[in-house]
Amino acid sequence: MATQSSHFEFAPGFEDGRLRIVWYAFVAVLVAGGAYATYLRLTRGMASTNLTSVVPWGAWVAFYIYFVGLSAGAFLVSTLANVFDVGAMHRIDRDALFAAIVSMAVALLFVWIDLGRMERMYYPFVWRQLTSALSWEVHAYVAYIGILVAELYFSMRIDLARLATRLDGTRATLYRLLALGRVDTSDASAAFDERWLKRVGIVGIPLAIFMVHGGTGVLFAVSKARPYWNSGLFPVIFIVSALLSGTALVMMIYVLRTRLFDGDAVDRDLLDQLAQLLLGFILVDAALTAIEALIAFTSFHPHAVETWLVVLFGEMSWSFWWFIVGASWVFPLVLLSKRSWRRTPSVMVLAGLSTVVGVVAVRFNIVIPAQITPVLEGLPHGSYFPTPVEWGTSIGIIGVGFLLYTVGAELLPLTPLSGGDHE
Amino acid sequence: MSTTDDGDALPGIPNVGKADLDAMVEEERPDPRDELADVEADTDLGIAMAEDAQRVARGELTGDEYWEKYDEAAADEFGAAYRETPNPAVDAGDQTVSTETAESLSCTVGSMDAVSTEAAQVEGDGSEGGIGAGDEKWGMVIDLQKCVGCDSCTVACKSENRTPPGVSYNVVMEEEHGEFPNVTRTNVPRPCMQCDNPPCVQVCPVSATYKMDDGVVNIDYDRCIGCRYCNIACPYGARYFDFGGDYDDEVDGAGEVTSPEYGVDRGPREDGESPIGNIRKCSFCTHRLERGEEPACVETCIGDARNMGDLDDPDSDVAKMADSSRAFQLKEDEGTDPNVYYLK
Repeated sequence: MATQSSHFEFAPGFEDGRLRIVWYAFVAVLVAGGAYATYLRLTRGMASTNLTSVVPWGAWVAFYIYFVGLSAGAFLVSTLANVFDVGAMHRIDRDALFAAIVSMAVALLFVWIDLGRMERMYYPFVWRQLTSALSWEVHAYVAYIGILVAELYFSMRIDLARLATRLDGTRATLYRLLALGRVDTSDASAAFDERWLKRVGIVGIPLAIFMVHGGTGVLFAVSKARPYWNSGLFPVIFIVSALLSGTALVMMIYVLRTRLFDGDAVDRDLLDQLAQLLLGFILVDAALTAIEALIAFTSFHPHAVETWLVVLFGEMSWSFWWFIVGASWVFPLVLLSKRSWRRTPSVMVLAGLSTVVGVVAVRFNIVIPAQITPVLEGLPHGSYFPTPVEWGTSIGIIGVGFLLYTVGAELLPLTPLSGGDHE
Repeated sequence: MSTTDDGDALPGIPNVGKADLDAMVEEERPDPRDELADVEADTDLGIAMAEDAQRVARGELTGDEYWEKYDEAAADEFGAAYRETPNPAVDAGDQTVSTETAESLSCTVGSMDAVSTEAAQVEGDGSEGGIGAGDEKWGMVIDLQKCVGCDSCTVACKSENRTPPGVSYNVVMEEEHGEFPNVTRTNVPRPCMQCDNPPCVQVCPVSATYKMDDGVVNIDYDRCIGCRYCNIACPYGARYFDFGGDYDDEVDGAGEVTSPEYGVDRGPREDGESPIGNIRKCSFCTHRLERGEEPACVETCIGDARNMGDLDDPDSDVAKMADSSRAFQLKEDEGTDPNVYYLK
């Protein structure tokens, strides 16, 4: 710790100035395009989507559950450090937490734009319905965001305090504010933070598993009108694919931020640990999905069987075989299979990216197919592909997420100043 | 029957004189004395009242004079029924009774609309609980043997409830089975099932949809946030999202005419106003039930396949039909217990 005072320089953010410009220009294009699409959505209403009364939930809902999953997964990875004390993971817990917060913000933006009456977004807090999974979810999200912010605060507070005392000017003021004025850097204060970090994390784990992401699965699973969702395994699959995407995201961010922001060498043991975790989650996810399909087929329930046939061989089969099987299972599994590849940062970024993109298709394949087969024979079949407005707003909202993350990563001490071993 | 040709008749259109038509009506008119002979009330009084009523219509007598003339006799003849039944319309012109006269005669008055509602309630006050009494559990029984698949219920519903494009509270699901020439066809009309255990109510995060005491599942458009979860949860596909379209391209001012949904008239459709952006569904024509009328689809059904009534009243036709061995509900194993029954 004392070593830092001699050469105290705190400049997180892009090492390469040109890369910073390129990145921000890219994000600006995404956000500007999204802003225009959002303008169209606001003025033309829901008619700007390809949603119908037959397929009332589409891309926005798929992205919403995707980002809730990403968040829950990233948070659970952070608890490996904060609750379960896996040594090397301390290096990445703040990154995981911050990515989890940004993911939740993005997820809520997706829910918001999906509402038929956006100005009434606070109504679930005004009128409650105890039997509604969605009502519980909305409350759980708020509590969960509280947990995430508290976790990040306790995890980062001591570094904020160090920076507040050692830097001058607006930055020092900012860090003092973020530390909520607690600028004590003594061991006792560090121990206090660590104690509370663990306590909040312990509360957060069941909240993230059962309420936030398991609950999002319950949202679908309780709908007995759609037998494809109506299974007890469904919420569990939700959690596993959340862990899958969350781990992949954290692994990717770890490598990219270490390389591009910190200019450090990547810790290959840590990378290998994350990669093995990812490998395990992929296998469990694939196994559970296969079990789920088997149960559906052996039930001979016409709706469930037809929906699975749509998934496997119907109009959306390309997304199942190429994205779910290909991008989120087979391709990363190949990359993760060799120990030397697992220790190669660039290969692991590729594996992470492939998984993160592949899981988007998992979410689309959850939301859409169950609405293709009509609930009663004789009613119209559904068909859905997002409009440019839906794609545009979605990309814009993701751009907002990129922006929030990058600004945070440029300002906050996401890499522990002490090197991440919690002394 | 003779035909007169005054020279400017259009080709192909029969030109029948007005006098001929009147004569035809007169010929068909039943003899008043014969008609009234079957009625318990005094025949002479009836004929006198009828003749004077025609004078009122011709303007030879005012409504006030008429009722003053017959008040005593009518009260003697009809007793409480006469006193308690409101006299329609004070403000509809000469042919009706003025407020002052009505008060002096101690009979109540009201607009036609109010009278029909009150009359329904008077009727409902009895032990049998008729339409409009407010203690019913509304139910519908659809006889599939009588349904001819004409879709007139769908059309009647659209025109009664002025539903926008893409919103059809009532559809007819058509299924064809078998191979030619051994083909059968089943038409299953599907309104909202008005379930006793409605999944849509269960899942709404803001309690915008709820079950009323009369069994009708209602939506509060001012509360609905448009999340469409109820749409997902409904096993009957009976909920529709209002995307804000209208028929203005087909009919000028289509959005100007509205229908009171769940008894609330929201005026012309306007951008950004509910129910645009909300979920909509069949209300069993609550506004009609409240007036003592049957839902539009029931009234219009050409095969008399649809029946509306009080399921809580064991003597009602629908309760008996719903109890018959022919009766079934859609997706019974979902546990939704719909208040729409079918007869196979």
